[in-house]
Amino acid sequence: MTRLLSLFTGVSLAFIVSGCYESPSVTSYEPGVYKGAKDPLMQANKDQRAETMKKRFEMVQTDR
Amino acid sequence: MKLIKKRGANASTAAPGLGEAIDRRTFLRRSGVALGGAAVSGALPVTMMRKAHAKGASPKAGIATEMRRSICTHCSVGCGVIAEVQNGVWTGQEPDFESPFNLGSHCAKGASVREHGIGEHRLKHPMKLVGGKWKKLSWDEAINEIGDKLMQIRKESGPDSVAWMGSAKHSNEQAYLFRKMAAMWGTNNVDHQARICHSTTVAGVANTWGYGAMTNSYNDMHNCKAMIFIGSNAAEAHPVAMQHILRAKENGAKMIVCDPRFTRTAAHADHFVRLRPGTDVALVWGMLWHIFENGWEDKEYISQRVWGLDRVREEVKKWTPEETERVTGAPPDVVKQAAQIMAENRPGTIVWCMGGTQHTSGNNNTRSYCVLQLALGNIGKSGGGANIFRGHDNVQGATDLCVLSHSLPGYYGLSAGSWKHWSRVWDLDYEWVASRFDQDKVEGDKGKPVSPMNYKGIPVSRWIDGVLEDPKNMGQKDRIRALFMWGHAVNSQTRGPEMKKAMEMLDMLVIVDPYPTHAAVMNDRKDGTYLLPASTQFETYGSVTASNRSIQWRDKVIDPVWESLPDQTIMYKLAKKLGFADQMFKNIKVNSDEPLVEDVTREFNKGMWTIGYTGQSPERLKLHAENRKTFNTTTLKAEGGPADGDYYGMPWPCWGTAEMKHPGTPILYDPSTPVAEGGLTFRARFGVEHDGENLLAEGSYSKGSEIKDGYPEFKADMLKQLGWWDDLTPEEKQLAEGKNWKTDLSGGIQRVAIKHGCAPFGNAKARTFVWTFPDPIPIHREPLYTPRRDLVADYPTYADRKRFYRLPTRYESIQSQDFSKDYPIIWTSGRLVEYEGGGEEQRSNPWLAELQQDMFVEVNPTDANNLGIRDGQMVWMDSPEKAKIKVKAQVTRRVAPGVVFTPFHFGGWFQGEDLVAKYPQGTAPLVRGEACNTAMTYGYDSVTQMQETKVSLCRIRPA
Amino acid sequence: MARMKFLCDAERCIECNSCVTACKNEHEVPWGVNRRRVVTLNDGVPGEKSISVACMHCTDAPCAAVCPVDCFYTTDDGIVLHDKDLCIGCGYCFYACPFGAPQYPQQAAFGVRGKMDKCTFCAGGPLQDNSNVEYEKYGRNRIAEGKLPLCAEMCSTKALLAGDGDMIADIYRQRVLKRGGRPQTWGWESAYGTTG
Ligand code: SF4
Ligand code: SF4
Ligand code: SF4
Repeated sequence: MTRLLSLFTGVSLAFIVSGCYESPSVTSYEPGVYKGAKDPLMQANKDQRAETMKKRFEMVQTDR
Repeated sequence: MKLIKKRGANASTAAPGLGEAIDRRTFLRRSGVALGGAAVSGALPVTMMRKAHAKGASPKAGIATEMRRSICTHCSVGCGVIAEVQNGVWTGQEPDFESPFNLGSHCAKGASVREHGIGEHRLKHPMKLVGGKWKKLSWDEAINEIGDKLMQIRKESGPDSVAWMGSAKHSNEQAYLFRKMAAMWGTNNVDHQARICHSTTVAGVANTWGYGAMTNSYNDMHNCKAMIFIGSNAAEAHPVAMQHILRAKENGAKMIVCDPRFTRTAAHADHFVRLRPGTDVALVWGMLWHIFENGWEDKEYISQRVWGLDRVREEVKKWTPEETERVTGAPPDVVKQAAQIMAENRPGTIVWCMGGTQHTSGNNNTRSYCVLQLALGNIGKSGGGANIFRGHDNVQGATDLCVLSHSLPGYYGLSAGSWKHWSRVWDLDYEWVASRFDQDKVEGDKGKPVSPMNYKGIPVSRWIDGVLEDPKNMGQKDRIRALFMWGHAVNSQTRGPEMKKAMEMLDMLVIVDPYPTHAAVMNDRKDGTYLLPASTQFETYGSVTASNRSIQWRDKVIDPVWESLPDQTIMYKLAKKLGFADQMFKNIKVNSDEPLVEDVTREFNKGMWTIGYTGQSPERLKLHAENRKTFNTTTLKAEGGPADGDYYGMPWPCWGTAEMKHPGTPILYDPSTPVAEGGLTFRARFGVEHDGENLLAEGSYSKGSEIKDGYPEFKADMLKQLGWWDDLTPEEKQLAEGKNWKTDLSGGIQRVAIKHGCAPFGNAKARTFVWTFPDPIPIHREPLYTPRRDLVADYPTYADRKRFYRLPTRYESIQSQDFSKDYPIIWTSGRLVEYEGGGEEQRSNPWLAELQQDMFVEVNPTDANNLGIRDGQMVWMDSPEKAKIKVKAQVTRRVAPGVVFTPFHFGGWFQGEDLVAKYPQGTAPLVRGEACNTAMTYGYDSVTQMQETKVSLCRIRPA
Repeated sequence: MARMKFLCDAERCIECNSCVTACKNEHEVPWGVNRRRVVTLNDGVPGEKSISVACMHCTDAPCAAVCPVDCFYTTDDGIVLHDKDLCIGCGYCFYACPFGAPQYPQQAAFGVRGKMDKCTFCAGGPLQDNSNVEYEKYGRNRIAEGKLPLCAEMCSTKALLAGDGDMIADIYRQRVLKRGGRPQTWGWESAYGTTG
């Protein structure tokens, strides 16, 4: 229950219509270094992928 | 050791997770983890599990993938389904974002249809019950044995002793063949789910303005300014419709929900009106009282297009805010506000579903909704209309093609003229068709002798009585001795213990279904039950009609799984065995026992003039399917492309022949568009005058009409009088001579009427006074099982009837008994989003079954406290007819004190007992539970025999 | 470059569970494991709201921070994934996750937990894209196919949005402007340290 509450209190009421970008005050951790296998997805051309995804998003998830 | 720095509120705790806090799903899910396959599945690691479960239906790398398109088989929204198929195996689903209906979306059911192709719990072979054990047999053996038994019964008792219960899951072609098969067998004892879902709508609405279907479309709801839902829980029953509804709401439309429960649809509404179950007419008249009182009605519209409203006014006067509250329980200001929202935000639409239809006076409810909309001038307008959401994926089509006991395809009725029309379409001798029926007249509903061929058959809601009733009291020679349940769940029908008895009395029970169903296990038959595995619609192809009357073409996704066969093939095999295949398939090509689907479409295209199922040829339907992305998602009109100007799926009526290229009618009765472009008037269905009053429209006609006033329906003679006869071609003249717009097989009369801007079916007023019905003006009548004894005297039910659809039917003799002392709680029922109908398919599908593992009853905390019931506890629900079911209590404020709700999709339990052992091996659904209708009670609509499943009484006690 | 995020519009979510089922179907997720689920507040009373929750693919993912074997990584588009070959099923990540996303299938013997499974944003794992082994361990890799998460693509009301954070925020903003009312970007602050 506590966890659920924290999720919903974390919901912000202040929404600034124009400033929808990353907040500078992020949580910071001391991360470990990834020790697993390389993901081939990371080798692919990301900008091209971003472009494809953008099209897909417009097609599939907007109200047309 | 890692350092973790977090902001206070988000600090992680040892709480066991998000799911813990919540709602009924969590509560239900947790409680049933050990059910069915769950126990086993839980013990397997993820990867192994995948293999064990999916049996090679997972996508594989390096194999070509084909995309095939079908339509979801779970509800009438008609969502497009895109299947990925590898080597004939259905390995994936993609969103069909080109479909103007769903734009890629699905609900839980639609998102899981691939499971049909895995089908581990499906019925795998034909089976029969021998000495209480299931035995496998071949198709040939099964058809032979069944056929022989049918012929024996026919000889001994006549064709009416076999009842054919078909399905809203048939494609249009299968539905049409099913009705034709019953006709060739020689009985009207043929029916399907429409009887128990929207029969009161079809009867009520068609008798008001001509056709009994949804007038606008889900998409057109984008244009609404107000939307009122009565007895419709779209968020669970038509989830993808909510996409359009919420879009309307975001466009500023006001949303009102009237329901005994605070449903998930209500959670999205601007205004919620809680009413006591079974008081719809009272509520609507209570709203109309304010409308008339304040002069909010559309006077011009009414004078031009509505007949009989003054008689309604008299009735509505009685429904003062005080009286409305006394009957419905809805406070005066809440009702007034609803009326005001509808009056101030026009055009507005009304949506209703089973909450309104399933009552003894359901036909009154549906007509009162129509009257409300007529008074507001909302019918025949974009953004307005009566958006009646149908249930099953093809219940609209199966109704149109008439798997029904009281009519023939296209609502032609059962008169000799109708049979002659269809005999001409079938290219058969009428005398031969007539000879198939029992020739002895019986006493009909009105006490006069009638031929069985022209007499409404026993409806699905009453087949039990067709078995149990003494034949002396029935309108047919003998009782029902053999029953087909073909794609039809018995757990959607009431009176379980009597049903069990009736099943055990049958000589033969044949279940044709992809699953064994509740019917196979709920009785103690030892012999003479047959299970025939039918394919789902994903294993065949054909057309399907969505709620908005659009027809869509399905492609075949995969071959029939296991030994299943598509319905059309099973019907052909049966017809061949019974000796009428040559007549039934006279003009339909048959390839190794499978009739050619397109030929079936073409055949009904030739006969369905009444509702314009004539222009949608298989070629045009396929063209629409391929070019669906060219259709506008609000108007449904193709903008450019090969189907330019057509409306998606050519919503019926699509007048004339396919060559005429009528675009379909997206909005019924909209005179602002020419008929040739999808406009219409109200149908002149009830003559030209009544009591000396003119029934035709006055001063209202469709755009471009050459007759600038009302006019009757078109006949050959009328064309001659108008001087339009010579517009017909010589060939058309030959076929049209002496015929009318409904019976002219050339389509010429329709073509010429439309050429002159006229609607073939005439231009009349809608009628609010239906003089042929038991209550010409809809009035409130208390349910048969009512707790409000004080209201029975003021609002009594009907008198008992000696013969109604061939059977004695009780009203008063039940209502006059007071059950409310022992059974004080009002009981209503409804849908869950994960399941549908009898729920067999979905409860056998692990992706859905996991989400709803227990049959439950919603109980208000007040009642729970009074009864000493805890949340999650098992309880008994007892009915006044002495049936009982054992279910889990869910304590929630969703229902009001004194009212409980159960879903109706469960099955596989009977009066406290889990019947798992009685299923053929490996076919028991993953989730089983008590069928709520086991304990739902008697009660049938006074026009259509719709069952009263939305209000009864019960008692609850801890189990 | 895209920064992949989820947003569930509670004004549109109708608790239909399409997202949950689509995910089950797409990845053949076994009974008892839920990469995504729908939670409802105020069930059955006015104010009832539902949202669909899965792994939010947090910026600075807490799960990654607590993993004793360091099996988590974040893709260039901000998707948080992990390597099942390294995962020891310890369950720490579950306790760290503000959304309860990590799931553990039960192993047969002694109630030992299996390797963690969670939403992959339909991006598979660190194995050859769309190979059979990737599918078996992580499910389908839609991102590699140029598609978006199926749960969002199939959402009945387009409540659940998945894609580049800025695009999602744009759509959501437009909706809020149109219908008025209070924007509620459920979970964004915990996951992304931002509210819009
Ligand atoms: S059940 Fe209805 S809403 Fe759900 S996917 Fe199928 S057609 Fe669409
Ligand atoms: S993104 Fe993919 S893996 Fe994650 S919840 Fe959605 S469907 Fe499931
Ligand atoms: S599919 Fe969409 S509307 Fe349905 S539960 Fe998921 S997020 Fe909500």
